[in-house]
Amino acid sequence: MPKNIIDIKSICHTFSDGYVGIQNISVSISQGEFIILAGKNGSGKTTFLRHLNGLLLPDSGQIIVNGHDVSKHLIQTRKTVGMVFQDADTQIVGDTVFDEVAFGLENLKVKRQKINEKVSLILKDLNLFHLKNRSPFTLSGGEKRKLAIAGILVMNPELIMFDEPFSNLDHPGTIQVLSTIIDLNRSGHTIIIATHDVETIICEATRIIIMKDGRIKEDGNPLDIINRLESYGVREPCSSKLGLGIKPYG
Amino acid sequence: MANLTPFTYRQGQSILHLLDVRCKFFMICLVSMSMLSAHLFACFFYFLILLFFFKKSGLNFFATMTSIKYFILLLFFIFIARALTVKGDILFSFYGMTITEQGLTEGFVVAFKFFLVMLTGLVFSSTTQPSSVKSAVQWFLKPIPFVLEKRVAVMISLALGFMPIIASQAQKISDAQKARCGDLQSNPVKKIIHLVLPLLRKTFLSADSLVLAMESRCYSDDRIDPAFMSSGKEIYFLAGSVVLSLSLVCL
Repeated sequence: MPKNIIDIKSICHTFSDGYVGIQNISVSISQGEFIILAGKNGSGKTTFLRHLNGLLLPDSGQIIVNGHDVSKHLIQTRKTVGMVFQDADTQIVGDTVFDEVAFGLENLKVKRQKINEKVSLILKDLNLFHLKNRSPFTLSGGEKRKLAIAGILVMNPELIMFDEPFSNLDHPGTIQVLSTIIDLNRSGHTIIIATHDVETIICEATRIIIMKDGRIKEDGNPLDIINRLESYGVREPCSSKLGLGIKPYG
Repeated sequence: MANLTPFTYRQGQSILHLLDVRCKFFMICLVSMSMLSAHLFACFFYFLILLFFFKKSGLNFFATMTSIKYFILLLFFIFIARALTVKGDILFSFYGMTITEQGLTEGFVVAFKFFLVMLTGLVFSSTTQPSSVKSAVQWFLKPIPFVLEKRVAVMISLALGFMPIIASQAQKISDAQKARCGDLQSNPVKKIIHLVLPLLRKTFLSADSLVLAMESRCYSDDRIDPAFMSSGKEIYFLAGSVVLSLSLVCL
């Protein structure tokens, strides 16, 4: 039986303006899972994700990542749980593709030679090596998203979270990012994707969690939940509406 | 995609691209300071050297001049202001204003010096990666007590990196306003407010997202020191810049 990477016990978070982000969430995430975190805008998906790598800390409750309390082991947590943000442009720190990927390892004070080796390897794996000297801002949408993934992947996380990874991407960009995410899951990474449009990715998911008003409303196998998606403001995939079940995207 | 400005780094393998950034910093400071007391002949001599490095670095001089046309216009105003204000032998006189021979000469020299300093900066920035600039700043600030050199260096790097993004955002906001006939607004103050407020809002939101992204990748001031690239020819360039500076001052 796969081990649990994350154990969440009754976490709540209220923002300083009184807005309730998430309420009483308890959930466990096992190694190798491919989870869709779905819900309409404002349902608390991003707030929930930000708790998993310590960008936000809960007001009450506890998050355990690989046996460590997140609030006491932030660096260890962020090495284990990587997060790819929605807007690729605003997370670019490096002047070149190479520097951008190296950023995380430089923060971890990895030796320069090791950084060069690891970054080159990741860029080759994601087929970005030929762009290593390009400015990240000049890449296409799909390439930028892949670069953001490379920047996380180089830190060797066990779990990678994606916040709306397909937003603002054209069809080729979506296919490019989708196949990268699928490959990551097949190579043993646990994946969590927060999205309000599940059609692209539902075929690959092993589990779907539906959020509404900061709470988890459904948690289970996609096939069991797919027909109830629209009652939570999430569009049911066309294939399912047509009675064809879940079909691969593209 | 972000637009390239004349000051944007351009990839290349020229000697200026490969030179240690600390050496380039030293050279640019030395030559720019020498320029203050250089005579016109010395300025022309330096201009020829700059043209040589323009070509060597793969930059197109005429295309660059086109893209800095507003700066050249500013230099023209400096020239005119000098020509009108410096006392000397009168060449023309109209509506109570006089243009003097000394004014014209001095105006030309001052404008030309500004032009050369700007070209030097342009050659530097288009052959130097912003990350190297950051590393050099960090290296130069390290011996200074009470200065958080790593933080300053990251701030400089981010500022340089985000300039084109902010410019592109401003263009988008301006286009969106034009699409709603915003250009019919004749009050310049209102025009600026309509542009600046959404731009500031967007910039702060982007900065917020960037902070989160950096934090999620374990950012702290305690990072690995930058690596410097060296071509092995730095010593010749340093010696050359000292000779050039002396020539600028003495010629």
